[in-house]
Amino acid sequence: MNTVNVSRRSFLQASAVAGGGLVVGVAFTGCSSTSEPLPVASTEGAWTPNAFIQVLPDNTIRFYTARSEMGQGVTTGLATLVGEELDVNPFDMDICFAGVHEDYANPLFGMQGTGGSTSIRAHYTQLRQAGANTRALILEAAARDLGLATSSLTTDNGYVLAGEARHPYSDFIAMAQSLTIEANAPLKAAADFQFIGRESRRVDAIAKATGTAQFGIDIDIPDLHYAVVVRAPVAGTKVRSVEASAARGMPGVTNVLEIGNGVAVVAESFWQAKQAAAQVQVDWNTGALGQFDTDTLRADYTAALDAGDGVEGPDEGNVEEALSAASTVHEAEYWAPLLAHAPMEPMNATVRIDGERAEVWTGIQFPFAVPAIVSRVAGIPAENVQFHQTYLGGGFGRRGAVNYLIEAAEIAVYSAKPVQLVWTREDDIQQGPFRPASLMRIKAGADADGNLTAWDAARAGGNISPDSLRTLLPAAFPWMGDIVAEGVAQLSEIYFKKFATDNSSTEGLFEDYDHANTRVTHMTVDHGLPLTFWRSVGHSYTAFAKESMIDEMAEAADIDEIAFRLQNTQNSPRLNNVIRVAGEQMAKMNPPEGHHLGFAAHNSFLTDVAEIAEVSVKNGKIQVHKVTCVLDCGQAVNPDIVRAQVEGGVVYGLTAALYGGLNLERGTIKESNFHDYPMLRMNESPEIEVIIIDSGTEPTGVGEPGLPPIAPAVANAVYKATGQRLRSLPLQLA
Amino acid sequence: MIQFILNGQAVQTEVDPNTPLLWVVRDHFKLKGSKFGCGAGLCGACTMHVNGAALKTCVTPIAAAANKSITTIEGLGTPEDLHPLQAAWHEHAVPQCGYCQSGQIMAAAALLDANPNPSSDEIDAAMAGNICRCGCYPRIKRAIQSVSENALAYDAMSQTEGRA
Ligand code: FES
Ligand code: FES
Repeated sequence: MNTVNVSRRSFLQASAVAGGGLVVGVAFTGCSSTSEPLPVASTEGAWTPNAFIQVLPDNTIRFYTARSEMGQGVTTGLATLVGEELDVNPFDMDICFAGVHEDYANPLFGMQGTGGSTSIRAHYTQLRQAGANTRALILEAAARDLGLATSSLTTDNGYVLAGEARHPYSDFIAMAQSLTIEANAPLKAAADFQFIGRESRRVDAIAKATGTAQFGIDIDIPDLHYAVVVRAPVAGTKVRSVEASAARGMPGVTNVLEIGNGVAVVAESFWQAKQAAAQVQVDWNTGALGQFDTDTLRADYTAALDAGDGVEGPDEGNVEEALSAASTVHEAEYWAPLLAHAPMEPMNATVRIDGERAEVWTGIQFPFAVPAIVSRVAGIPAENVQFHQTYLGGGFGRRGAVNYLIEAAEIAVYSAKPVQLVWTREDDIQQGPFRPASLMRIKAGADADGNLTAWDAARAGGNISPDSLRTLLPAAFPWMGDIVAEGVAQLSEIYFKKFATDNSSTEGLFEDYDHANTRVTHMTVDHGLPLTFWRSVGHSYTAFAKESMIDEMAEAADIDEIAFRLQNTQNSPRLNNVIRVAGEQMAKMNPPEGHHLGFAAHNSFLTDVAEIAEVSVKNGKIQVHKVTCVLDCGQAVNPDIVRAQVEGGVVYGLTAALYGGLNLERGTIKESNFHDYPMLRMNESPEIEVIIIDSGTEPTGVGEPGLPPIAPAVANAVYKATGQRLRSLPLQLA
Repeated sequence: MIQFILNGQAVQTEVDPNTPLLWVVRDHFKLKGSKFGCGAGLCGACTMHVNGAALKTCVTPIAAAANKSITTIEGLGTPEDLHPLQAAWHEHAVPQCGYCQSGQIMAAAALLDANPNPSSDEIDAAMAGNICRCGCYPRIKRAIQSVSENALAYDAMSQTEGRA
């Protein structure tokens, strides 16, 4: 993997070298032997001081955004960071999605990827510094060109101000190119921010409201053919034999071919391909997964928890002793099912192979993988692969699993046509990779004063890391053979089963509360379903178990739910404060007759969130009327986008809490589209209020943290409404 | 051959009459603003106006559009000349990923054409066919209400003017 460590210091060095205005890439640390040219537009006369900024002769300020825009508003956010210091309004920038280059690595990942709610905090200093350094250089160039002191000049939205005169930045391109860029231009104090922390709109809203925003599925190139893949009913199953003569004879069909994941039908239009795909008969080589039902999964998890021999995560103090000494002890088991991501835009990728060159258009969370994957499949050099990022019609982790790109590349190679592969919604729901199902058990103890003393938590289920390695290793290590890569993935399966917990499987199950004696045990039970990240990852299920348990413990200790949380989060002051503020909100609420308030709080992606759900239950149906969210995410770069992300996290989490569940029947997912895998709709969507606490720290995650507390907040409210403690998701009353 | 009006222009096509209107518009007329979300009439991403009414076009064969007037998101407004709903979508920062939004706006526009001042429940009922996986519902509703409130204000204004 590209392990370039993009520290602020190394970025500054890079900026210094890149300051000459040459369009060359610069290794951030100097340890890279190859410097690929930056994949930026070669506009005549443009100045490219670094990978992110271009100043064009007509004073257009171009910003290359390195993170994938999947709705989280990162384009606006990153443009705000650069614009703040460059002194250019983000709404006046020409914003482009970056191609693949090491300069576009996520500083927290060391490779070009978007996820883990990292983007704003990862680039918070780097992009402001890029803007500040560039502005300093422009000022210096202007001072020389105008024969004035730098101190007499200032800037305003792309212009240098000299007394009454306004000079566009572009006037000074030639001089700027001859200078060495300032390496450590001072950054603004927060009090001087003009864009950061201010209310604004989104830079992409008009494009998205007019149908002009281009998604992967909207790509149209000459001679484009469309592919639909006939997939095995049991995920991961291989083809035994194919009968495709009927399909081949159908209108528009140009090819029917076997690929790794099934049988691809290529036609002149998507509709033709889809019609023909329905006529392909495939005999599948169904493996072990073909014997499993949802009940098998759950029974196997139960057996694993009963057997009790898993991998121990944190093991602090002496849980057994603490439990036997506790005055209140409570134990419960919680279930979370398999889930699909169901982003609104079905998976798709467009690939054109032209001799030794290839072009790819797709919306993807891991662009770094694109050249390597296509190079592997097509047998061409990775540097000959040109990638065009598009808008992502939702990601939620799904567009970090790159199988759709691998398939599109295979089809383009074998069919010798430019191809757009489109997954159907049925493919999307049934084929995964999925959010893993989980069975969790927590046994907690508290002393006579209600102080938690023991927390014994266990989780059984599959891990997501081996599948992530399986798809990303070959991309990260181009020299690694397929067999070696598969071998490493299999080793990782054993590793996470026997030696160490896959952090994403237990994150959030035990960290938030003060309990001196803590034990976390993980039992890997893997039935071979493809698994991956799903918005908020482990937190999407662990928060449900943890915050339900906290509510149960508060009741068992006969302490108010807020007071209990406050007294047991002394070691997490920011979470404690969020609980306190949310508790004050809750105390002021006056729900109508029959409405009940449920509370939950959780830390994920470094952000603390508390949520209050106002719920009623009528004729066995749970209705969520209002959700109030209090969060501390440090500096909110775009407060309205923070609110939108929390609203979105609540709706996504509520959809899962009320409806989400995939069921296996002999290895096949029974659900197939939105009629049986329903989504929350407007008429079921609660009013959502978001209160942002600004603690003055640097930004923390925003895209995911709104999700984890909603399921337990609703479950806790349902308990108050009905006396039923619902410990299985989706929440269903007896 | 099937003839129809597409965003005010008379057009014709010779595709298989069973082809859904969505795919004719996207792949033959190259208007990519209308989206494929489910292909089964369940999500509303493909919503267009057929003779002014909102319709899910992934399950509408092109034959059913013969001689009718079809409006897509491209025909509703453009970045340079926004429909009031599109302006409201910007004003209220409605879109997240944006993929569902063409369909949402077409459904909302048909609603407001028929009922310029819908109640909250009427908005819910009209919009329940459109899924937004990003969860923009509160903002979609606010944006629709902002336009309908304007409509109300305009109505009030024109009534006053009419009386004077
Ligand atoms: S694509 Fe037509 S309703 Fe979903
Ligand atoms: S904005 Fe993403 S689905 Fe609605």
